[in-house]
Amino acid sequence: MANYVIRRLLMIIPIIFGILFLTFLIKALIPTDAVSALFSGTVSEDKAAEAIAQIREKYHLDLPWYRQFGIYVWDVMHLDLGESVRTRQPVIDEIGFRYVNTLILAFSALIVAIVVGLVTGMLSAYFKNTWIDVTSMSVGMMGISMPAFFLGFVLIFIFSVQLRWLPVIGRGDFQSLILPALTLGFIEAAALSRVTRSSMLDVLSREYIRTARAKGMSESYILFRHALPNAFLSILTMIGLQIGNLLGGAFIIEVIFGWHGIGELAVKAIQWRDFTITQAVILVSAGTYVFVNLIVDLLYTWVDPRISYEE
Amino acid sequence: MKLQKLTQMGLASAVALFVASGANAETLRFRLGEDPESLYNVETNSLTANTVIASYLLERLVYFDKNGDAKPWLAESWELNEAQTEITFKLRNGITFHDGEPFNADAVVYHFNTILAPESASPHLASMGPLTSIEALDDLTVKFTFSEPYAPFFNELAGATGGFNSPKAVEAAGSGYGRAPVGTGPYMIDQWIPGTEIKFVRNDNYHEQFRGDAVNKGAPHAEEILLSVISEDGVAQAALEAGELSASMLLSDTIAQFMDHPDFNTVIDETATNLMFLEFNHQKAPFDDVNMRKAIGYAIDRESALAAAWDGFGTAALGPLALGIPGFDGEVAAKYGTPYDPEKAKAILDDLGWVDSDGDGIRDKDGKPAEFLIKGYAGYAHSSRTLQVIQANLAQIGINVTLETADWGAFYPSLLDDGWDMDLMRWTARDAGILGELFRSPGHRQKLPANAPLDDLLTRCNSTVDPAARNECVSEAQRMLLENVTIVPIMSNWTVIATQGNVKDYTIDRMGYLIPGDVRIED
Repeated sequence: MANYVIRRLLMIIPIIFGILFLTFLIKALIPTDAVSALFSGTVSEDKAAEAIAQIREKYHLDLPWYRQFGIYVWDVMHLDLGESVRTRQPVIDEIGFRYVNTLILAFSALIVAIVVGLVTGMLSAYFKNTWIDVTSMSVGMMGISMPAFFLGFVLIFIFSVQLRWLPVIGRGDFQSLILPALTLGFIEAAALSRVTRSSMLDVLSREYIRTARAKGMSESYILFRHALPNAFLSILTMIGLQIGNLLGGAFIIEVIFGWHGIGELAVKAIQWRDFTITQAVILVSAGTYVFVNLIVDLLYTWVDPRISYEE
Repeated sequence: MKLQKLTQMGLASAVALFVASGANAETLRFRLGEDPESLYNVETNSLTANTVIASYLLERLVYFDKNGDAKPWLAESWELNEAQTEITFKLRNGITFHDGEPFNADAVVYHFNTILAPESASPHLASMGPLTSIEALDDLTVKFTFSEPYAPFFNELAGATGGFNSPKAVEAAGSGYGRAPVGTGPYMIDQWIPGTEIKFVRNDNYHEQFRGDAVNKGAPHAEEILLSVISEDGVAQAALEAGELSASMLLSDTIAQFMDHPDFNTVIDETATNLMFLEFNHQKAPFDDVNMRKAIGYAIDRESALAAAWDGFGTAALGPLALGIPGFDGEVAAKYGTPYDPEKAKAILDDLGWVDSDGDGIRDKDGKPAEFLIKGYAGYAHSSRTLQVIQANLAQIGINVTLETADWGAFYPSLLDDGWDMDLMRWTARDAGILGELFRSPGHRQKLPANAPLDDLLTRCNSTVDPAARNECVSEAQRMLLENVTIVPIMSNWTVIATQGNVKDYTIDRMGYLIPGDVRIED
């Protein structure tokens, strides 16, 4: 186990290096030079030439690419993500609070998704082919098919415009969190519910469940102690994927509900041609994804001790 | 028991929730389309940042009244020397910045010297033109010296660029100043949650409002102004309907729903400073021929384009200068413009030898069909809809065009290459100097052939400081641009704003900025 953890951690190093190289390339792949983007408002550029030269020097754009890459890796290792081209503020300041917002929204949505998804999935499996099953699966199908922005606007219309219970304008507080967390949570719950249902159905038809029932065990004991843990492996895989998704930032949800996370920042940074921010957002999202994958892999061995990575 | 307690707690927090979101009559809530990158006018030049800076925080030496004439604001008066290369301003006495520092000649000198310093990398450097030095003659007198007369300077003085920051605060805050600006304006910055909202509080030590176009001469009415970042128009609409916004600028698609609504008012600013126009690659046949360009001009149905692009919230344009820019000459536009007349367009094409000889519906000449490429910028409905109208208009006169759009950052530089015939362009400017910047040869995209009379005229317009003489010069330039059909003007769109019914005196000034001290909420 310890061996596995160490090996798994060592594997992260080349991955991180690869991510660094790819994010570094972003600067080269952006169609217009970020510096001239800064001056796109001015027509006659002869006078701005000197200012442009100053900025090129500041962002090391005058150096060969391998030296730029070296400086970049060195800075990132020192947690220096540079300065935003657009706001001239440290990138850490721009991205930090948005990352925290994304974490808060992702985990709130995840809680909604797990509670709703597991409960409806288990009920559907247990009451297979009854009205409970049909209803929850139909609602789930709607959840999967419905675009996030549509559900978001419907909820805003009902709870903010008509009932006026919750604010339209996001201010980063708890009230502003409710609608985006529900919207995102329901959409993720729909997929989770279907996975839960099918893997529970699979487990419930196994012989050891029949044996447990024959022994006269209570239904809830069977469901929670025998069935769920065995069905949990595929559910965990699904949850792992969803966390990765959610932490990448949910751009549309963030924009509609004014919840300022890194999804929104990523899209805006590209529009603004702010390459330092773009680089940082991708670096942070990719890093998070790697980290979440690691945790899920480690959880597998805990959920199912039969899975052993020892050779 | 436990359940009861939980219910009570739930109720209590629900009550707290309503109290918290209850609208404070003393707070005005406005929308920001995006988070400004910085509120330091030396280092920023975006439309959003300029609007926030100029509306609430910083005041200028002069403002433009409804007729577009410069009037004194923080300046008491000014005079020009004979050669029109020196402007000396007398400043008002007793004005202080939000931090208590005095506003004086040193503050003015500090501001413009910072813009001129190359290490500031200020995007306003280019617009300072031939400004060479600024000096304080005494505590309240300041002299600007130019290497040659420079008329657009008053526009810079009246815009966000010309707003004054407390030098002490700039020095103290260093690179963080853009988040904590200190001016002399009616509101002071209180809190900025990046990406979310900016809160201003009333400047209770506000000196008198010296602007002649302001209704309220004293301290502003509202205690607080909250600007919320809302990028989506649909969200702004919902926020207005829910009463969470006092006013919001909207797209013309959205504004229609507020037009006849009893609970809302609409403010429409028709003094547009933007112009959408069709440009030609003058170096490539057949658009090197003025008659060919003229035919295109007559073929464009501007009213249809306006209806498609802006739901009619705009003005069809025949002249090459936006109607809200001082110097715009409507008579010249009507007399020398090319109003929609497809028959005339067809006749010109016939004369030029462009006829449909093979009966396929597309004209041809010397075996070459009339097929051209129009480039445009992507991502905006107004642009794509206008392009479609143009395509249909040209098809009507037997010209087949292909549309090619790309993001502005790719589109604009691509016009320096040769592979295009026409492009759809849109510029916003506040000064007639824009004509020189865009159309003095070789032009902003390097495609205009030398045209000595026009080039000289455009240069002369910029160095004519006297407003009346300058307007005459600008009229002449508009006439020459139309006769040469350098571009085909299409339309200018208006700024449209919806406000709650009880919001009064929401006025946009000639520069497009709000006069926030006037806005009040009627009980």
